[in-house]
Amino acid sequence: MRVVHYLNQFFGGLGGEEEANIAVEVREGAVGPGRLLEQVLGDGSTVVKTVICGDNHAAENLDSVMELVVEQVRESQADLFVAGPCFVAGRYGVAAGALCAAVQAELGTPVVTGMAVENPGVDLYRQELYIVDSGENVADMRAALIKMAAIARKLAANEDVGRPADMGYIPRGIMKDEIVEESAAVRLANMILAKTTGQPYETELTQTGFEPIPAPPPVPDLSEATVAIVTDGGLVPAGNPDGMPAIASTIWGAYDIAAVDDLEGADYEVYHRGYDNRHVLNDPDRLVPVDVLKELEKAGEVGKVYEQFLSMTGLANPLANSRRIGREIAESLKNAGVDAVILTST
Amino acid sequence: MKLTLAIHSVNDARTGSGTRLDGGMLTVDVDELRDAVLQDRRLQSVDVEIASPGQPCRIGVVFDILEPRAKEPGTGSDFPGLLGPMAVAGQGTTHVLRGAAVTVVDASQEPGIASKMMEMHGDAAQASPYGSLHHVVVVPRMIPGTPRHVELNALRLASVRAAVFLGSSALDLEPDSVEEYELDGPWGKAGDGLPRIAYIGQVHGHQMVVEEDERILYGSNTEGMSPLTLHPNEWLDGAVVCSYWVMRVESYFYQNHPIILELYKRHLAGEINFVGTVATVAASLEADRNRNCLLAAHQARWGLGADGVVLTKYGGGAPHVDMGETARICEALGMKTVVQVSDSSGDRRAESAMLFSYPEVDAIVYGGGGDIGWNAAPVERVIAGTAEAGQALAQMTFIPAQALCGATNQQGASKIQAMVY
Repeated sequence: MRVVHYLNQFFGGLGGEEEANIAVEVREGAVGPGRLLEQVLGDGSTVVKTVICGDNHAAENLDSVMELVVEQVRESQADLFVAGPCFVAGRYGVAAGALCAAVQAELGTPVVTGMAVENPGVDLYRQELYIVDSGENVADMRAALIKMAAIARKLAANEDVGRPADMGYIPRGIMKDEIVEESAAVRLANMILAKTTGQPYETELTQTGFEPIPAPPPVPDLSEATVAIVTDGGLVPAGNPDGMPAIASTIWGAYDIAAVDDLEGADYEVYHRGYDNRHVLNDPDRLVPVDVLKELEKAGEVGKVYEQFLSMTGLANPLANSRRIGREIAESLKNAGVDAVILTST
Repeated sequence: MKLTLAIHSVNDARTGSGTRLDGGMLTVDVDELRDAVLQDRRLQSVDVEIASPGQPCRIGVVFDILEPRAKEPGTGSDFPGLLGPMAVAGQGTTHVLRGAAVTVVDASQEPGIASKMMEMHGDAAQASPYGSLHHVVVVPRMIPGTPRHVELNALRLASVRAAVFLGSSALDLEPDSVEEYELDGPWGKAGDGLPRIAYIGQVHGHQMVVEEDERILYGSNTEGMSPLTLHPNEWLDGAVVCSYWVMRVESYFYQNHPIILELYKRHLAGEINFVGTVATVAASLEADRNRNCLLAAHQARWGLGADGVVLTKYGGGAPHVDMGETARICEALGMKTVVQVSDSSGDRRAESAMLFSYPEVDAIVYGGGGDIGWNAAPVERVIAGTAEAGQALAQMTFIPAQALCGATNQQGASKIQAMVY
């Protein structure tokens, strides 16, 4: 295999943190860990080019470094691009992830990197890349490279890479069905027995940790504020003008309520297959509380009720889609000068 | 409480004159079975067919699958509160036609991905726990103009009538084997020192509206239900059937509840002390959710004295949330939990798979089914409610796991697991 290898200034032998601003340079052949990489890859594999860059320089000039690396891989007709392993070095990990992702996306060349689980590059790139769990200890360089080489060989041969635990990479969070020996009932019994007797057990799914969302500061003066209502309960005007799907909507709608003080069931429909929506059909205000908000507006307690309510169907929605819709809705309301939002869910 | 199952093996099935079980051969007299089901005068007609393992045959749309069973007269009631008079299920002797199934077809439901079908040959049949059973397929047809809820009620009654009629063929026979289910419950001393394990299972999710005349738990439609402590035997012996809205459940796996049977097995092996179960429902309203989750957990703790709890859900996302919340409360009460989650990651990403994020609920058995299926070999026979449904089924060239009865079962029977890569 012809390999292009990326190293930071430290592993490239140019110096420690004091050299972190050093600009990118390209060397012929293997440098430092690259020699070990050649060894563990075997089969006459050679590192044809080594790209070395200071961590700060890479962080500050990521686009140009990516362009250069992609060009080097292309020119070298490399079969493989390897970055790191980066252990806990955060800037190094983020750069390695970005470079691997760029090479993979633009050239389709197999890529592999290695990092400690705590490296911030992991969260950014685990879904798209094979990132070997290198651990924190630089002394484990050889072990990390052996795992990276094993994955690289499979990628180069276009073979199924196998499971994270078997191959030593950090789970990418991609789910694939498999028929197993033991029924769910047996697995449940095994797990509860282990958990209640203090034995080790392995969950079949690790919950994704989410960043806590800090509560926003209180609205300083509600009587001056424009308040909008947003729901994921799938309420749309009769006739469903935007074609809201009843499950996992990829769209959201904005529906006029400027001249409405009270939503009537006959004027609305619910496109959502995941909840008992009889109460909402009977009185849509119970999902989108226009009636009460307009009363508060008239009483001067709420400055203004925003002229539209925003709606989508949250049911069984992939998170990536929900994130995008959330961003779009937030941006639209912010641009419209909305100060506060009431979110109702079902 | 002791339940004796008199097991009669069924190795083959055919239609013929005089319903009987003889040396493993189940003969079904179509006219007799029809008469038993047509006691319900809301039905206009009933078709009966037999589909055996390996036959190039496809069945749909399936309303429910049950195991043919009948109580030994004088020892209890068949499906108490639903078919027979109210009695506490799970005691006395029940005759079981092991290897057979009653499979009821809903003639008014269009086939689709959300509906259920059964394939009797090929890879799909191998992947379903129902593929190895001899199915007595019952297709009831209504008097035209019957309201849907009445039709569903008639289908439910037809299903249990057919199961009991066929089970009765074994009443006077010597069983091939006998299974005994007996537990001391939470008071037993036998299991002292072993982990005390309870099961909390949802029997409906009120995200879907129940009909007033729907029969789920002892004949009740579970509306307004609070969590209820049940002896494990009650599940096994006809206290519970599926609601009309089903998602990866069949009544067959209440009668043969994989989790309850596995916990029984571990109990008998001296690994655990199986202290009992709590039946609950997932809520539609927040007030109901809070009440049900708290009370289910507290019954497991203070009623059953559990150290550990296995939890399952019924249906989709909202019940998933209720199960997670119940597990969280269990952990807060000092009980360890394991939950079973069905596959709901539409984009096949682990980050989309869970609807709760509680660090203490850290033991998850994860089902699959989102991206697996089987190529369907052509069939010679389709058993369906209507010509249109039959045609749609006949044209299937691929059977997704989620459409195949039993493959992605939420009662613990499934062997499909979504692995995280």
